[in-house]
Amino acid sequence: MKKFVNDPAKFVPEFMKGIVLANPGLLEFNEEFQMIKRKDAPNNARVSIVQGSGSGHEPAHVMAVGPGMLDGSCQGAVFAAPPVDACYETIKALASDAGVLVLVNNYQGDRMAWDMATEMAQAEGINVKQFHINDDVAVEDSLYTVGRRGVAGNFFVIKACGAAAAAGKSLDEVYAVAEKVNNSVRTMGVALTSCIPPAKGTTIFQIGDDEMEVGVGIHGEPGRRRDTIKPADVIVDELFDAVAQDIPFVSGDRVALMINGLGGTPISELYVLYARAHERAEQAGFTVVRNYVGEYCTSLEMAGASLTLLKLDGELETLLDAPAEVAVRIF
Amino acid sequence: MTEISQATVEQAVKTTCATVLRNEFYFSDLDGLAGDGDFGTSLATGYRIIDAEFDSLDKSNIGAFLLKISMLVSKHVGGSSGPIWGTGFMRAAMLSKGKESLTLADLTDMLGSAIEGIQARGGAKLGDKTLLDALIPVHEKMKEHVAAGTADLGVVLKDAADEAEKAIDATRTLVAHRGRASQVGERSSGTPDPGIVSIAIILQDWCKQFGVDRTPSVAEVINQPA
Repeated sequence: MKKFVNDPAKFVPEFMKGIVLANPGLLEFNEEFQMIKRKDAPNNARVSIVQGSGSGHEPAHVMAVGPGMLDGSCQGAVFAAPPVDACYETIKALASDAGVLVLVNNYQGDRMAWDMATEMAQAEGINVKQFHINDDVAVEDSLYTVGRRGVAGNFFVIKACGAAAAAGKSLDEVYAVAEKVNNSVRTMGVALTSCIPPAKGTTIFQIGDDEMEVGVGIHGEPGRRRDTIKPADVIVDELFDAVAQDIPFVSGDRVALMINGLGGTPISELYVLYARAHERAEQAGFTVVRNYVGEYCTSLEMAGASLTLLKLDGELETLLDAPAEVAVRIF
Repeated sequence: MTEISQATVEQAVKTTCATVLRNEFYFSDLDGLAGDGDFGTSLATGYRIIDAEFDSLDKSNIGAFLLKISMLVSKHVGGSSGPIWGTGFMRAAMLSKGKESLTLADLTDMLGSAIEGIQARGGAKLGDKTLLDALIPVHEKMKEHVAAGTADLGVVLKDAADEAEKAIDATRTLVAHRGRASQVGERSSGTPDPGIVSIAIILQDWCKQFGVDRTPSVAEVINQPA
């Protein structure tokens, strides 16, 4: 293993510290609960949006904290759900008169931790609701889920809910936005390599030099099948068809199209994938209103990518257009 | 009506720590018969921390104390036992918030709410061969004592231990429908459920701790390490 690590056990708090030092005006860090929150949150005039999950998916979820996005996030160890007390403290720290919406990706560990934390917070009189994100079409049940997994579509749920909350929508209205996005977004990914959690020091699964895992999960969980690697366009076609046929998307749809890198694939390769995906969308009669090419939800240094389609309407287009700021930036 | 003091609740948790730590390998061995053999270690990992931090835990009232136990169990007990046992303590904590003593009716309501929470969290029901098969009959028996106005809590505790022990034999031949043991299907028949055994042993140890004379009659409880 060659990684930039001091103490593998401190990998998560150390990168979190870096995020906060790089954004001193925006964020604050609670090391005990591995939580980052907006400095100006909670604000009683608007709903707080909260998330928390295993680390290793950066910029999800902790680097998605900022105006118009998440108000706070707590991190578990790499690929492990945060503990209940961290989830509970995160809800408490972001408790607002307008309420708290917890966006949980559909994994058993995350759901159990947030279920308990939500129940405890409700018992304290905090107005909090939970929403489960499950956009991955690859498999119906996985190693870590009952039902579909939550993957890169999470970004759109955060973005839309963050904008709705910033616009002063009520908790029920923001929840309805989460539901609408989740019902309209579909994703599937493919892995070319495995990845190495720093504390583990070895790869989480084995894959041959000439192989790919189609439908891979963001923790390296198996997807639909192992196959020999194909040309990029052939891979995009399979992802595109699986995603587009799922809702299904139909000719005339206005869509957002995302090619998300899993951490170890260069941006140039992601644009090779985007080119094909964009052409396929146009051929299918979709209008690509917004596009997203880059890293949104990763698996450490895994080479691979996922393709996400989101069906838009006027409300969602407005919410995606709204300004937002997160820790990741190039200007 | 006899009251259960906060000191008694704290002592019961302390005794449970000792029970779980003494039975770490025994519980894992029982789990290994049909499950993945981690039950004793998973439970002990959490209770070892509770035991070590016991003196500094929040003891401002029973609810605060049990909520802290819930947090520690949820955080440190591995596998599915953490959220399941943690939920039980959390529900009990909510109903005892701010209280410094409990009536038998209070304690019975706390167990009832814990059972509901565990069912909601894990999806198991009576007859699925989980710890609920011990907790539910114990709860029923406690409700009978509340209705009858039983004043001697020792009698209630002894009856509760009897019910939990009976559950070991009553479920022995069942096939597990939840948890890891469900994955071996028919093979789980004929083996005791370690969650049920753990409840029976904890209650037996509470009898001993609180001076209730009771002789166990089921092998798994008799054979626990001294």
